[in-house]
Amino acid sequence: MNFFINNIALKDLIYTIKNYYSWSYLSYFDLKLKYRRTFLGPWWVVLGIAISATAMCFLWSTIFNLYWKSYLTYLFSGFIIWMWISQLVIDAPEVFTASASKYIKAYPNPPIFYVFRKCFFSLLLFLHHIPLIIIVCLLVNHRINLSVLYSLPIGLLIIFINSILFSTNIGMISARYRDFDPLIKSLMPPMLLLSPVLWKPEMLGDFASLIYLNPFTYFIGIVRNDVIGLGFDLYIWIGAMLLTFFQLIVFLSLYSAKSKRIVFWV
Amino acid sequence: MKSEIILNNVSLDFPIYDAKSLSIRNKVLDIGNTISNKSKTNISDSGTIIQALKDITLKFNHGDKVAIIGSNGSGKTTLLKLIAGIYHPTSGNANIKGELSCMLDIGFGFEQDATGYENIILSNITRGLKKDTIDKLLPEIAEFSGLGEFLNMPFRTYSSGMQARLAFASAIANTPGILLIDEFFSTGDIDFSIKSKKKVLEMMDNSSILVFASHDLTMLDKICNKAICMKNGEISFSGNTKDVITYYKNL
Repeated sequence: MNFFINNIALKDLIYTIKNYYSWSYLSYFDLKLKYRRTFLGPWWVVLGIAISATAMCFLWSTIFNLYWKSYLTYLFSGFIIWMWISQLVIDAPEVFTASASKYIKAYPNPPIFYVFRKCFFSLLLFLHHIPLIIIVCLLVNHRINLSVLYSLPIGLLIIFINSILFSTNIGMISARYRDFDPLIKSLMPPMLLLSPVLWKPEMLGDFASLIYLNPFTYFIGIVRNDVIGLGFDLYIWIGAMLLTFFQLIVFLSLYSAKSKRIVFWV
Repeated sequence: MKSEIILNNVSLDFPIYDAKSLSIRNKVLDIGNTISNKSKTNISDSGTIIQALKDITLKFNHGDKVAIIGSNGSGKTTLLKLIAGIYHPTSGNANIKGELSCMLDIGFGFEQDATGYENIILSNITRGLKKDTIDKLLPEIAEFSGLGEFLNMPFRTYSSGMQARLAFASAIANTPGILLIDEFFSTGDIDFSIKSKKKVLEMMDNSSILVFASHDLTMLDKICNKAICMKNGEISFSGNTKDVITYYKNL
């Protein structure tokens, strides 16, 4: 019980959640600034994804010998979720060392405050890509599971929680040991090929169950499966929960032990 | 709630990380060395450590206006940042009661592409104020900054003097309980410097505890009723302002 009462990680977490107004406003403003001075604004990203995903769809459906209509929704949804998750992972090592560093040294907000700002920004960015998935599904007359109404918000929440925990953990480690940043950045491109984004698990034949070794499978799965009408996969939800739990334990111990050192590392 | 600042035997070790200690390769080499027991290099976890504060004990109560005097690098800013809660003591304990408002590195929280007005809002949101509170203060801050029409232009177009004006003006929105101020009057033109001094004096009057680090001895003498002199991270002398200033001048 003592572990929880005097836990710095929990204290900072609760403080930051109570101050949701500040970081959500800052995230919203970051988004606004991102599109300032562009004519199409947020539609640039949507357009960019639409262009690259469509091109990839025709290429890969030919290579894999698949009917393009059924492949289109799979690729679009997978690709958009992948963009979100991979960007989070790539940004995680810099969450304290980049722009947050001058804030951390100048004002006594808990460091995790800036992680919330960053991750909520990513979530907002992803949210205005969701209509793209739905438009594509409607265009090819794809069936959408009704359960998406509750599974999508839960899935997004799980990814958001994980992004906070992951960014904090990796952000701390790589603020201290600067080698992690280039390491993670070089791991992400091959991870795209190893994750079920471009290909379907059944294409692996006997090796299909190997996808469960890849943590990205779970996070892509919990958001995608219902949206594009795949069946409910209990393993994916259990896996996502276990990963969340694991990250939470790491976060509670690492942040409690070392969060007060962050200011010296950044 | 009565404001109070109590530090008990507080020390702060400041690790300086160079390229060597920030890289994991040296960690691995270190482990390798330990296993093979070939060399017994004792590279500490944190590289070089500087003891920035040594055994500081102090107590400030409601109504205290404290001056911190000392040469560059004596630990004034570090002490202020420790009281603010940006640094945490390595040993000893710090007990701070009351609302804090810091004017330490006031230039944080500005976005290059946002306008002056937006930056006032952003930096105060970061300080924990609500948008509607800031909206009410906005005319006063805008008027104080004296930037007029420039407030509608992006921050990146500002000169350094204008940036300093905006930074100072946006920092005055906080209503102080415990007010921590680090010297910063050197920026801005004479007009603004006089204006900001006046404003700070007004804020100091309203604060319950003031801790003020500065090199302007005449100003400190006018404002503060207590003073401490820092030297190499230690309090070398403390007492009423006049005595401390005399001590400092004779150093």
